[in-house]
Order: sequence, then structure tokens, then C-alpha cells
Amino acid sequence: MASAGSTSRAVWAVLTKECRSEWRTRYGLNAALLFAVTTLVTVSFAVGQLPDRTDLLSALLWVVLLFASLASLAHTFVREIDGHTMTFLRLVASPTAIALGKLLFNLLFLLLLEIVIVPLYLLLMGGPAPQWGRFLGLLALGSVALAAATTLVGALIAQTRGRGALFAGVSIPVLLPIFAAAVSGTRAQWEGAAVGGELRLLAAYAAAMLAAGLLLYDHLWED
Amino acid sequence: MVWRILLFAWISVAMVLGFTWAPVVPFLEETTRVIYFHVPAAWVTVVALAWSMVHSILYLRRRDLKHDDQAAAAAELGVMFCLLATISGSLWAKAQWGSYWNWDPRETTIFFLLLVYGAYLAIRGAVEEPAKRARLSAVYSAVAFVAVPFLMFVVPRIHATLHPSPILPAGGESSGGMDPRIRVVFWAMVAGFTALFFWMLSLRIRLGRLERESAA
Repeated sequence: MASAGSTSRAVWAVLTKECRSEWRTRYGLNAALLFAVTTLVTVSFAVGQLPDRTDLLSALLWVVLLFASLASLAHTFVREIDGHTMTFLRLVASPTAIALGKLLFNLLFLLLLEIVIVPLYLLLMGGPAPQWGRFLGLLALGSVALAAATTLVGALIAQTRGRGALFAGVSIPVLLPIFAAAVSGTRAQWEGAAVGGELRLLAAYAAAMLAAGLLLYDHLWED
Repeated sequence: MVWRILLFAWISVAMVLGFTWAPVVPFLEETTRVIYFHVPAAWVTVVALAWSMVHSILYLRRRDLKHDDQAAAAAELGVMFCLLATISGSLWAKAQWGSYWNWDPRETTIFFLLLVYGAYLAIRGAVEEPAKRARLSAVYSAVAFVAVPFLMFVVPRIHATLHPSPILPAGGESSGGMDPRIRVVFWAMVAGFTALFFWMLSLRIRLGRLERESAA
């Protein structure tokens, strides 16, 4: 078993490698941003401005975020399989280190997506001003939970035949608790209510998914 | 053979008693009788899911394809019973609540179970090699099992349930409670459905083993 120091070095190496190879083509980021903006415009075009419908605003925000992330988060593993580089990567790092590196990369990726989507969403939909502390807390914890779950499912799906097509269908059952808690929390903060329960739920879910991932990644990549 | 005939007779008698001997609950009226089919089907769904997940984890620990056969067969039967529970529940909801589907927490959780099973079977369909298929689907099974308790916890926070389960088993409710005759038929049907599930499971496993041996 590798020591903690060498594991964290390996995680960091995987993360920088992901960032570098993404930056070379920017294929994943461009596709995801394009997809996100298109979804956002479709939603906005379909429903117009909703200044006082906080129930719809919170649901649509997370639908847009969910679809944008589903369209892009399996990419990190699928790219390794398609490029036949997974075996090489596994020679130099443990499955857990690879997965954690890719998880951090996916988290960065989500952060970038949200920096573009969320302000644009608030602007286009004309919603009331959010309570920033709670709103950003929900977004942050929701993203961590989303990234933890989709990275795990993405690692699994990359080895199957369906890949892209399967990813959304297989992820959604696992993402449903995140989605439900995030939507109800976002709505509550717009209505001035407390969101402590939702935040705790998202944090607990993210922790449970991370723990499950740490236990299961070794099983995913052995043969 | 004897067991099969006994099981057939057992379920038939319970069914007839459910329609003739057992009384109805006030408010629910004739729709009371759905509990002899709907609740046992839902119960078997949960048993099947738990069975499938336990064998998935056993597979990851022991790497024996026997456990994978068990997990896959239980999941397939689980889908069938889950569909039966969903359809009977939806029909009952139309009669009692006035709409086939309105995202009551029970409807949400059973829909979630259908999604999990569906995804599990989709993964199985997308991998050719038996050992790899067993490994990947077992991992998914474990991941989905993490999501289940959270969903049970999240959904009731968002919607209140109208599902009658809190009334029925209590027995001493002012609304009439559960008549002992209903209880007898109900538990007979639960036992019958459970036995039916394990019999079908053993058939499916034997079939799976034969398929694998003839392919090899």
C-alpha cells in the first residue's frame, strides 16, 4: 500500500495531467459550455422570465446544471478508454489515486461551468436576488456530491459498450437524492427559509459517495 | 412438484378468501382488497433488491460467478414485481386519490427502485465478458444501495404521504383498524408471494447456469 504522501502526489499528478490534456484541445470544456448555454437558452426561451416562481426557478436551475454535468463528466474516463491510455495510467498510479485526481478535475470542471451558467441563468430568468451565503453553499456542496457520484459512475460506464448513451440513464438514479435536496434547498433560500437540513444532506451524501468510491474503485479496475 | 401444487393451492385459496371472507376497511371500501396483491408485490420487490445487493457484495468479496447468477436473477424478478406493485398501486391511486400518478413519496421511491433496477440491467446488457459484467454490475449495485437510504430520507421532507400504510397495520385506529380476517389473508399472501419469488429465483438461476454452460 502506498503511503499517504505518494498517494497525494499521484492524485496531484493525475489532476495536472487532466488539466493539461484538457487545455490542449479544450474539447470537453467547449462541448460542455456549448451544451449548457444551449440548454439554458432553450429553457429561457420556452418559459420566459419567472420573477416570482421560486419553485420553477430552483427546479430549472438544477435541471440545467444536471444535464450540463451529465453531458460532460464521464468524459475523463471515456477519453482514457478511447485513447487506449488507461492501462498506461494504471501502471503509474493506483486506481484510487486516478479516481481522486479525476474527481478533483471534474469538480474544477463543474466550478467553471457554474461560473458561466449561474450568473447567466439569474440574468435570463429574472429571478429574485438569492441569499448568497446559502445559495453558494448549496451550489458548492451540490457540486461536490454531483462530482463524487458521477466520477464513480463514469469510471464504471467507461468500461461498458454503451458508454455515453448509458451514462445519463445509469447516473440519474444515483443523482436523484442530490437533485431533490438541492432543488428544495434552493427554493427554500429564495423564500427566506433555513437550508441547514438540505446542506447536511448534501454533505452526508457527498461523504457517503466518496467513501463508497474509495472502497469500490479497486474493484472497478482489476483484470 | 408437491411444493408447486401446494403453493398454487395456497395462493388460490388466499385469493378467494380475500374476495369473499375478508371484510373491507371503511373509507377504502372495495379498494381494500388491493393490499393482498400490491403490498406483497412491494415486499417481494424489497426482498429481491436486498437479495441482489447482498449477492453483489458477496461477488466482489469472493469472485464466484454463482453470486452473480443470484444477483442477476433476483434483479430481473425484482423488476417484474416492482412493475406489478407500481401498476396495482397506480390503479388504486386512481380509484382512491383520483389520479394515476402524483409523486406521493411512495410513488417516488418505487419509481426510483424501477430506475435502479433498469440501470442495473442496462449495465449487464452492455458488457459481454461474464467476469467483467459481474464486477461492474456488482459495483453499481453497491453504489445504488448508498443512494437508497438518502432517498428514503429526502423525499418525505419534500412531500407528505397520503399512502394508507400508517393506518392499516396499527389496528387500533378509530377509522376501523385492520380486521383480523384481513390480517390473516394479508400475511398468507405475503408468505405465498415470498415463496413464489424464491421458487422463480431458483428456476431463473438454473436457466442462467444452463445458458452459460451451453455457451461455453
